[in-house]
Amino acid sequence: MKISLLFRHQMTKLMNQIAAKKGSSPMKVHLFVTCLIDTIQPNVGKATVEVLERLGVEVEFPEAQVCCGQPAFNSGYTKETIKVAKNMIKAFESAEYVVTPSGSCKAMFLEYPQLLKEDPVWSAKAEALAEKTYELTEFIVDILHVTDVGASLKGNATYHTSCHMTRLLRIKEAPFTLLSNVKDLTMTPLPRAENCCGFGGTFSIKMTPISEQMVDEKVQSIEETDAEYIIGADCGCLLNIGGRLNRLDKPIQVMHIAEVLNSR
Amino acid sequence: MSMKIGEKAFKERIGEGLEDTVMRGAVSSAQERLYERRLSASEELGNWEKWRELGEEIRQHTLKHLDDYLYQLSESVSARGGHVFFAKTKEEASAYIQHVAQKKAAKKIVKSKSMVTEEIEMNQALEEIGCDVVESDLGEYILQVNDHEPPSHIVAPALHMTKEQIREVFHEKLGYEMSETPEDMTSFVRAILREKFLEADIGVTGCNFAVANTGSICLVTNEGNADLVTAIPKTHIAVMGMERIVPTMEELDVLVGLLCRSAVGQKLTSYISVVGPKGEEVDGPEEFHLVILDNGRSNILGTAFQPVLQCIRCAACINVCPVYRHVGGHSYGSIYPGPIGAVLSPLLGGYDDYQELPFASSLCAACTDACPVKIPLHELLIKHRQVIVEKEGRAPKAEMMAMKMFGMGASTPGMYQFGTKAAPVLMNRMASNGQISKGIGPLKNWTDIRDLPAPSKERFRDWFKKRQKEEQ
Amino acid sequence: MKGTISHRESFLAHIRKQLGKDSSPSASIQRPAWMHQVQWETNGLLSKEELVEQLKKQCQRIHTRVVETTPQEAPSVLRSLMTEYGEGSVMTSGDHRFEQYGFYPMFDSLQHEGFAVTSWNAEASREENIRLAEQAAYSVVFSDYTLAESGTVVLSSHQGQGRALHFLPMMYIVCIEKSTVVPRMIQAVSVLNRSVEEGEQAKGAIHFISGPSNSADIEMNLVVGVHGPVRAVYLLIDDE
Repeated sequence: MKISLLFRHQMTKLMNQIAAKKGSSPMKVHLFVTCLIDTIQPNVGKATVEVLERLGVEVEFPEAQVCCGQPAFNSGYTKETIKVAKNMIKAFESAEYVVTPSGSCKAMFLEYPQLLKEDPVWSAKAEALAEKTYELTEFIVDILHVTDVGASLKGNATYHTSCHMTRLLRIKEAPFTLLSNVKDLTMTPLPRAENCCGFGGTFSIKMTPISEQMVDEKVQSIEETDAEYIIGADCGCLLNIGGRLNRLDKPIQVMHIAEVLNSR
Repeated sequence: MSMKIGEKAFKERIGEGLEDTVMRGAVSSAQERLYERRLSASEELGNWEKWRELGEEIRQHTLKHLDDYLYQLSESVSARGGHVFFAKTKEEASAYIQHVAQKKAAKKIVKSKSMVTEEIEMNQALEEIGCDVVESDLGEYILQVNDHEPPSHIVAPALHMTKEQIREVFHEKLGYEMSETPEDMTSFVRAILREKFLEADIGVTGCNFAVANTGSICLVTNEGNADLVTAIPKTHIAVMGMERIVPTMEELDVLVGLLCRSAVGQKLTSYISVVGPKGEEVDGPEEFHLVILDNGRSNILGTAFQPVLQCIRCAACINVCPVYRHVGGHSYGSIYPGPIGAVLSPLLGGYDDYQELPFASSLCAACTDACPVKIPLHELLIKHRQVIVEKEGRAPKAEMMAMKMFGMGASTPGMYQFGTKAAPVLMNRMASNGQISKGIGPLKNWTDIRDLPAPSKERFRDWFKKRQKEEQ
Repeated sequence: MKGTISHRESFLAHIRKQLGKDSSPSASIQRPAWMHQVQWETNGLLSKEELVEQLKKQCQRIHTRVVETTPQEAPSVLRSLMTEYGEGSVMTSGDHRFEQYGFYPMFDSLQHEGFAVTSWNAEASREENIRLAEQAAYSVVFSDYTLAESGTVVLSSHQGQGRALHFLPMMYIVCIEKSTVVPRMIQAVSVLNRSVEEGEQAKGAIHFISGPSNSADIEMNLVVGVHGPVRAVYLLIDDE
């Protein structure tokens, strides 16, 4: 994505932060739940809603939403991606804030303006959507200014820093800030955290032998922490890591950060 | 050898790479060291982002005016008495070099490390006309002795070998009897190569950066071999990729600093020399030839892939790539491996040989982050995928059908609703204890190594809707 | 005599076409003012003393010994270094600074003890100069600029200083005048570049040398002393 888009997003964020401070009526957000969570991990969606509501936010769910289009985009199918993107743009057109519990899906929204650059009408709409979309932890810390959501989870955990969230969105602090305030939870740093877990969307099924080596490397890093929980903010990564942990009969439990923040 | 390595199919090369545990161990530990060094060098310098932006700006400006700078370079080289040969193709380049060697009745050629001379198959061309060509870079020399094994890394070509393997090669091919310590093996090679430097008729180098306004080329080494190659033989042939150029030595400062820190974590390597035809000094080349190579680079200009020409060949991207770590350089089937290779090889070598490379990536973007001149490598990989699928029409039919259906289903809420309501019914047949371990179709590859939770009967949206109704 | 240029026209025409340009290429292309001045800002405010400290510290990291001395003592300090490392034949560059700092009496006495002392010189043949350099145990030269940040000496080739002088002898000794110490590369190259822009003929070779030769090509293990000198010493002369 272009640097100016990220910059404009940061400026909008700053303005939203100021507005949020001043606002008196409950903030309303439109939830972009993601196709993976909708179909395979609905608990993560439920936890997201409950956490946001507990923080005084009203949550709407536009039913027209389907998928951000990553599977098609990352495989080189721009025509199909554009179809899918336009549906998402329409679905969230009336939203003031769009919040999603998935770093890679927000990053996909940031691709829309470039994807639609030939069409001035749609590209303007795409820019508007990109500017008002937030990843969940980013939203809680930077817009709501909350660092302690009042959660508690007893145990020893480590956190997986997903590639898209860290490198493309540059959201590095927010998850750690929130996790550090979860009562009774001990966080251990994950060794070689910068290594990709091997998901990469279609990469995990198109290049399975390589993906296997990468996820095994990640499992080994996790085991070095002796953690009971592996926490992440991207369901794709968690399905990949969790699926492998399961297959290898490892007792480590996988949790999405929304579920952790919803624990009491 | 040319840019292409071997004739095996992609899947076979990857399979072999994954099996080679010795190589993978060597590559992994080398990667870790180089990664640490780059990080600490960039942190020590400070303002790393500013340096990167400056590097990017200089490279982008240079590419935009590449014709002007190449014109200026050729004028300044010839003003100093050097000869400039613009080679559109690798055949033209090799033929010219053969011609120079023949004119000089040269038999002994000594060269310093140069990826571009591999690209044009220069060694073979010179050997064909009866020349003896010796690699003077330690890593390249090892590979040359080992029956011309191709390099697996653009900065540390023998990175995939252990010292035991190297000792074995020296013992078998050269009768080496000393130990496998790097010190012993290096002093052995030093003695052999010292003779070669002194006897050579022609010295051949690559070119890290040509300096347009001085008519010089800059050579960056730690060994000092490039300097001996350009000091002693009476003829120097320098081969450069046409984009490897800076306007003046002031820009050289920026790029050489970025190169040394990114490649090996040094502020500067031991020897950085800006050389051309001899000046007043009695040694140095009496005859200087600069071969400027296109070989497909110009076709990248003016396209969405132009940023790849910003590359300064530091290998920072290769050193952070998880795929490279697991399959090694030779699996790419090209002398340019890793992320830079996955973008560049299809452009220079065509999709027939290299169409799999852009897909051998999880798009983690570690390469983009590491690149000192800010080439958006992972974005260019996606761009390749777009071209391969939509322009070249090379996608498998089954995948195209699936994506068409995805395009329809995911843009039509009604279809999605239907599909996702049906999915649990179908897929739960494959599940036990809520997990699918033996998937079919596209799921099979997933479930070969991972479990997959079975889709829930109650989707999130069903729960949300129900809840909303209850609240009303 | 001007060198030949072949196939330039069509080669550059194709580039212009790809870039969508109409005009002919120009050798008078101008650089823009770059967006960042970080080349100059880095270490730009350090005092000479701080730069010397930085130089010394950096040299430790690049296996280079720094010996500080005064103009008066330089020749005898050099002599004692040679005793320390073992006397051998010496080749110096043909540089007026050897005269200036009174090295010749010391070189004369070294010769009387039976060690060859020669200097690179354009009167002798190329082959002779190279032969002497190859046999020399020590090469001794003066640096024109010295970069504190990287521990680098900058030397240009001239009649009295061939290229091979820096690479063939076993031990490399560089006399550094403190007045030539600058923060980093930009200070040196901007002066060199200015003289080129003012029409001066470019030097045959400009060397930026930082310590002895080395390689990490075998399992990333650093070996010092590969093709070039196996040891480097900087003799830092306080001429200020």
